[in-house]
Amino acid sequence: MALTRMHNTLSKSHVMADRMVTVNRLEEVVSTSDEFDQVVSQALPMLLDRATGYTKRFLRETGQWNDDIEHEKFALRWGSEYLERFLVCGRSEVPCRPLFLFDSLVAKQHSKPEPFCYHPDLLRPLGRFLDGLVARAVVSRDALIALYHHSYGWGAGDVIAVTGLNGLESQRIYKNFRRWRESGWQRTMDEVGLTKAELAELGHQQQRQRQRFNSEAERLIRVAQAHYRKSEPDHYPCLSRSQWGDMFAQGYGCDYRIWHLALCLDCMQTAWGLGSSGSLTGEKPRLELQVRP
Amino acid sequence: MGHEEELEAYRSQLLESLNSRPEIRSWSDPIQVYVNERRVGELESAGIGAMLQVQCVDHIETVQLRAEDGTLLGGLTAPECGYRTDRVRLSADTVELSVHNLAQGGTLSALFTPAPSFWSRAWKSIADVTDRVVARRPEPALAYGMRTVAFTQALLAIAVVGLVADRITTGRTSDRTPSPVVQTATLSPAPAVDMAKFEQQLGELARMQAKVDDALGSQQKGVVQLQQALVKLSSTQESFESNVLTVREEIEKRLETVGRETDRQTRQMASRGRVEQEQLEAAIQNLTADNHRLAKEVVSLEEYNQVLKTKLQTAVASASKAVDPSPERLLKMADSLQATQQQMPFLFWVTFSDGTSQESIDKWVYEMQGHKGAVSEGWQEVRIVPPAVPPDRFLEQIRGEKIVKAARIGQ
Ligand SMILES: [Zn+2]
Repeated sequence: MALTRMHNTLSKSHVMADRMVTVNRLEEVVSTSDEFDQVVSQALPMLLDRATGYTKRFLRETGQWNDDIEHEKFALRWGSEYLERFLVCGRSEVPCRPLFLFDSLVAKQHSKPEPFCYHPDLLRPLGRFLDGLVARAVVSRDALIALYHHSYGWGAGDVIAVTGLNGLESQRIYKNFRRWRESGWQRTMDEVGLTKAELAELGHQQQRQRQRFNSEAERLIRVAQAHYRKSEPDHYPCLSRSQWGDMFAQGYGCDYRIWHLALCLDCMQTAWGLGSSGSLTGEKPRLELQVRP
Repeated sequence: MGHEEELEAYRSQLLESLNSRPEIRSWSDPIQVYVNERRVGELESAGIGAMLQVQCVDHIETVQLRAEDGTLLGGLTAPECGYRTDRVRLSADTVELSVHNLAQGGTLSALFTPAPSFWSRAWKSIADVTDRVVARRPEPALAYGMRTVAFTQALLAIAVVGLVADRITTGRTSDRTPSPVVQTATLSPAPAVDMAKFEQQLGELARMQAKVDDALGSQQKGVVQLQQALVKLSSTQESFESNVLTVREEIEKRLETVGRETDRQTRQMASRGRVEQEQLEAAIQNLTADNHRLAKEVVSLEEYNQVLKTKLQTAVASASKAVDPSPERLLKMADSLQATQQQMPFLFWVTFSDGTSQESIDKWVYEMQGHKGAVSEGWQEVRIVPPAVPPDRFLEQIRGEKIVKAARIGQ
């Protein structure tokens, strides 16, 4: 018993000592990208905690913090996001002192007007699901295309018809769907920390309280879409029906259509029927949130 | 599961995914390019070289390359001022990133270079296709086939080069830029199949290109016709400045519209993602229709030209007497004037160059079928049948004669 405790104390102090060594190493100059990779990859847990700590502090200081697991998860998620960017972009900054570079990168993120999409309702499972989905759509084309499925329950063929795509572009849509089903969806769920139980509960709500579930989802997805649409190319604003009509009729702006219509419920209503070539002549689409890919 | 454990599980999961580096493979899908965490375009990368250039009004802080599934493949952070370059390795392929930040903003160029492969076999035929296009439109900055988009706030413009089946580029931004190319659907480990598919698509591309060439050719013919009409018009109307000006303005306006139209259609045709044969044919039909319209415009312009010519003659002939400039009135006056002119000889006065003999003067008058009249202060009056050209045009001709020093109509 005493031995175990002593052992624990020993290993704990060992960990502490390790941590100090890591920190010291990160404060020293690294001069090549390989050296950067090596030093940083040994310090991931410490760097994750550091970025998470900064994010918590930022939330506290901007009056957006609450002592609950949702906020903890949110801070972790963004800490990990910053760390990922640091791992990839930091190596171009050599020679540098990784720790200070890391701190400045996080500080730079937090100095932006809206570093992330914060809304208390987006921290609960449904909100987290939607926030994760839309956030992922900004960086992943697979997720972007999947957003059509999750929002309206469409398959690849529907997406192609609605956005008025042609042959080659369509092949890509099928690939996007496949990859999303195979790994993209799970990865996104992991990223926002949705547990199996939470996902099962969402599925339940979707089945049993369909209307309430969808109207709540619509409210929340609008919040997320409005935030993440800012990551769209700047030249992709909302358009009028006739402007969308021109684009569909003349066959340009393929990228524009795919991006904007996935990320804007209103424009989907506006542009409805323009690309469908007769196959989708029903009512305008309403949000029918799908939990599973 | 308690909150502590749940949180710890989440943390471990995040760490695990941070630890696993992106899967190394050949990227057959386009690479998404982000500047300052905004998407700015993509690099087509199915085994071919591609280039993306981005100009921002803001400084470029970060550049990120992502796969279609969102995996962060590489990137860099750039200094506020100056250059930063980096080479991102994706398996055997590389993307060279180069950022240049100035006080007024930044530029990014991303160059995708594939691992050398069987694709090099295809270079030659591809070069043949692209060379034809290059020959047509030499201006590199805005040649069609490049997508150029004006950004409203942060990003000024982005140009994508190096494209897909139906996207042919003409611009070469640097010598290192590989020839713009054609992309098959996927680069799978069965090169023979792909190669066949590729070659077939290449053939299609060449045929399509020929069609586009034809269409552009006929469109350009229309423009040439208009230009000829313009030249004709302006040469016959020197002395009726105001009317000519109106016509010229109108023609220029039309030419501009036509030019813009040609340009727009051309650019659209080339940059429009994956154009299918049908769409292309429809576009060609449009071009043909445009051409008919152009031809009609030329005809009507020529008709208008005739009317102007008539007005011009009458107006000048009656210039000294005309009090009412309305065209109807002028036309009526022209009729009566022409009638009187037929009966009356045309009078003008000339002086001759120093040392001109009387003999050559007589010969000159004789050749004009004219008659000498009075001589006053060195000026010789000459009477001839009314000339076919307007009087001042006629005087110009006279003044051009070797022996004539000066010529005028009144005394
Ligand atoms: Zn919109």
